[in-house]
Amino acid sequence: MNRVLDAEAPATRLAAFRIVVGVFVVVYLIGRSPVFLALADRPAADFEGVGILAPLSSPPSSGILTALIVVALATGVATTLGWRYRPSVIVFALTMLVLTTLRGSWGQLLHFENLMVIQLLVLAGSPAADAWSIDARRSNGDQRGNGDEKSIRYGWPLAVAGLVTVVTYVITGIAKLRYGGLDWLSGDTLQNHIAYSAARLDLLGGNKPVLAEIAVRQEWVLGACAVGAVAIELGAPVVFLGRRFRNVWVAAAWLMHVGIFLTMAVGFPSPLFGAAFVPFFALERIPPWVTNRLGRKRTVSVAS
Amino acid sequence: MRTGPALTRRTRLVVTSAIVAALIAPVAFDRDSFPLSTYPMYSRARSGESTLITARGITNDGEPRELTPTLIGDSDDPLVVVGRLRAALSAGRGDVRCAEIATRVSGRDALADVASIEIVAERHDTVARTLDEGSLIEREVRATCEVERP
Repeated sequence: MNRVLDAEAPATRLAAFRIVVGVFVVVYLIGRSPVFLALADRPAADFEGVGILAPLSSPPSSGILTALIVVALATGVATTLGWRYRPSVIVFALTMLVLTTLRGSWGQLLHFENLMVIQLLVLAGSPAADAWSIDARRSNGDQRGNGDEKSIRYGWPLAVAGLVTVVTYVITGIAKLRYGGLDWLSGDTLQNHIAYSAARLDLLGGNKPVLAEIAVRQEWVLGACAVGAVAIELGAPVVFLGRRFRNVWVAAAWLMHVGIFLTMAVGFPSPLFGAAFVPFFALERIPPWVTNRLGRKRTVSVAS
Repeated sequence: MRTGPALTRRTRLVVTSAIVAALIAPVAFDRDSFPLSTYPMYSRARSGESTLITARGITNDGEPRELTPTLIGDSDDPLVVVGRLRAALSAGRGDVRCAEIATRVSGRDALADVASIEIVAERHDTVARTLDEGSLIEREVRATCEVERP
């Protein structure tokens, strides 16, 4: 717990988190906007509000839905740029919460967007525009170097965002043992899940996942994969044990998601595109590293 | 730019604890919701035989025609498509959903030979189905409707 509560980081690291999450969610929303817009065409009789929409007896009108998407996009861009950050990020997080909750309010709870939205809510409560933002440029003027000072103000929100990722994975691991029991650890259950996903897609007229057929034939590999998946999920807290543990766990978790996508055509966007793992890394070191590399190349080419 | 002082350690502890408590509350109460969830997807043990809900077109000659997820459920997400079909059937609205599919199919020239729609529950050996082997164990028609064209 101390690693979370007393975590320190420079303002630029939290700013990098803001930029990555902002870009990811805005691009995601643009890409999925047809799906969100199509919610307006669904019969109101099928609406079954969940979460914060549970009190609603009917879905919002198409006008409200369109307005929510436009507002989310506008505030998402403002959040990413760090422009009028505080109101922007709060509205961005809340509109995304409403939109994604609405998507799961038609009799089928979806679990693809949970982590993305919860991390966005954490971002909304953090001072992530104190560096690398329009707000910072406006108010700082000549004091831009301040973003490198480490502080709990910037480290703690990042650590909380990372903790959200860790707890989420542990819960998914618990769910497998709770609902599936030890049977889940046998390759049979994983094989049947992969086969079920492929058969469902096939029956709906879609294409079977790329590696479904190959995976279903490898029963012994699936046994190891099932144990590995639960180990990765329950073992998520190791990210707090140090750099090596973190790197191995993040690589394993990401590969697991790639495997899920290729064998079951089920994509969890936030981990698949890396956004879920951003709080664990010192991304603020990338721009100076790139600048140094480019500078070195230029120096070499001028000298030669 | 600095936006206010850091929170005290006590406040950070309270906030962090509240967030963790909120995350694990669905697990404690075994109640799935959004965005706080028990993450039950793919967590249950599954047998090699499953009943799958889908819809198909039937031509004038009585031959089945495969539809697409978009035609069946107005979405490219199979989870959404199947979820909506199941929800409609369990709410006794299978006929309504069938009519919606028929309306979408009626607008497709490539499916001009489809005369009716069936929503079916099919029991399959899913491993055999994935391996392109014979898999159908049982089929039950849950709703049927005509495709009306102007």
